[in-house]
Amino acid sequence: MTTGGKRILMVDDDEDFVEAVACFLEANGFTVLRAHDGKEGVRLAKVERPDLILMDIMMNERTEGFFAIHEIRGDPEIKHTPIFVLSSFCSRLPDLEIPAAGGWLAHDMFLPKPVNTAHLLEKIRQRLGKAA
Amino acid sequence: MSESAAPEAVVVIDDDYAMRLSCAKIVSKMGLRVEVFEDGARGLEAVAALKPGLVVVDLKMPGISGLEVVSRVHEIDPQIIMVVITGYATIDTAVEAMKSGAYDFLPKPFSPDELRLIVNRGLERRRLALESQRGEVERALLKRTFVTFVSHQLRSPLAAIHQYLDVLQRLDEAGDSPARRREWIGRCLKRTEELQSLIADWLTLARVEGGALLKERVEVDLKSTIVNILENYRAMAAAEDVALEVSLPEGETRVRGDRTCVSVLFDNLITNAIKYNRRGGKVTVSGGFCDGEIVIAVGDTGVGIPEKYRPFLFDEFFRIKDSGVKRTEGTGLGLHISKRIVSEMGGSIEVESQAGIGSTFRVRLPAWREPADDAEMGGWE
Repeated sequence: MTTGGKRILMVDDDEDFVEAVACFLEANGFTVLRAHDGKEGVRLAKVERPDLILMDIMMNERTEGFFAIHEIRGDPEIKHTPIFVLSSFCSRLPDLEIPAAGGWLAHDMFLPKPVNTAHLLEKIRQRLGKAA
Repeated sequence: MSESAAPEAVVVIDDDYAMRLSCAKIVSKMGLRVEVFEDGARGLEAVAALKPGLVVVDLKMPGISGLEVVSRVHEIDPQIIMVVITGYATIDTAVEAMKSGAYDFLPKPFSPDELRLIVNRGLERRRLALESQRGEVERALLKRTFVTFVSHQLRSPLAAIHQYLDVLQRLDEAGDSPARRREWIGRCLKRTEELQSLIADWLTLARVEGGALLKERVEVDLKSTIVNILENYRAMAAAEDVALEVSLPEGETRVRGDRTCVSVLFDNLITNAIKYNRRGGKVTVSGGFCDGEIVIAVGDTGVGIPEKYRPFLFDEFFRIKDSGVKRTEGTGLGLHISKRIVSEMGGSIEVESQAGIGSTFRVRLPAWREPADDAEMGGWE
């Protein structure tokens, strides 16, 4: 399946976690941009306009991911970018699809960390579709 | 009740007049409505009446304590954001406040910018929380914030290791490069070590908290303990190009304590001194006696500890995040554990530091005295 070089931004302060997931996605034809804190994540989201964002929540010992998401959603240029939350916060939750309410969009998802990469890949492909 | 267009109200509760006044000035300049109160009782009354978006409260006040105000405000309305001001900021009090529901804390003295930032972030967090009420999800997530703060430390390395293995397995099927595989296995080992030292630290902490130092007090000779530890780290020091110098005093250096804990104490100080050093630098372990106490000093020739961080140095999970300080590895528990051990043994620990020259940790422990009142045990063989 071609992914047409879709670009994914990964925001996570654990370099090892990013390395593993990013390499997997790259091996599957995606381009992965990496940010290691919320601020850098927001900056890259604005500059690079990725097709999808994978967002960690606990960064710098606080729930920095929530702030980053809020900032992204506050920017009309990028607010429709789908966001998948990848966090150990979500370990006990099923794959939740978030209703289009509040700061969340209908195409956002919550996935537990560590993540089943095959499952992640499937969800990303569903979101981004086959179209390049 | 609904007042969508009105500016958010902020309540400031502080017994210090000047502090109240300057907080009020800063916050009102942000275009927010602000009310100040000098004690918890009056503050809480106002919170119930005003339903502010955010409350700033001093932890140390006469009358109702700041911590109590924090939990009572949340009984009134759990959506109110609480920021605590503290003059004796330690992670302990901050964690205590966070457990009671505070959003964040501001150590005194703080700048107007810091207050503005925290108020803005707090109100932003509130808006986000209110907006996503329907979602339910975020609130459920936030409730676990505190637990996560602690478990995050354990989970992160495990998640990274798991992810490497997961991806290795999948990429292997697609024929992946052996070089990358080796690199990742190395990283997994590193994270495993991180996890092990974290668990070891937690266990030591449990041992100290469980009263091991009171129950199992035996004679421990500091000199031989320290010499043994230094011997263990010769190779590590050589690899870092750090010299180890030791000059321990003649005479008795025995103390009363738990053998494991005493080892952990000096192990922590010595490994820190090696790690936070410079190439070509040295670690000096010296000793002496003073008023019935044995004094051991462990000095390094590293970059030094900026003064603003020194009060927090012995706090749980505290780490210096300055760019000049190399490496952030470690559990963030070492010095906290050291301090706990020293206090349990009736001693003290302090740090002296000079920028660019180095830091010295000085431990004082009461010298061993023959337990005269244990004489009745003498008949047992």
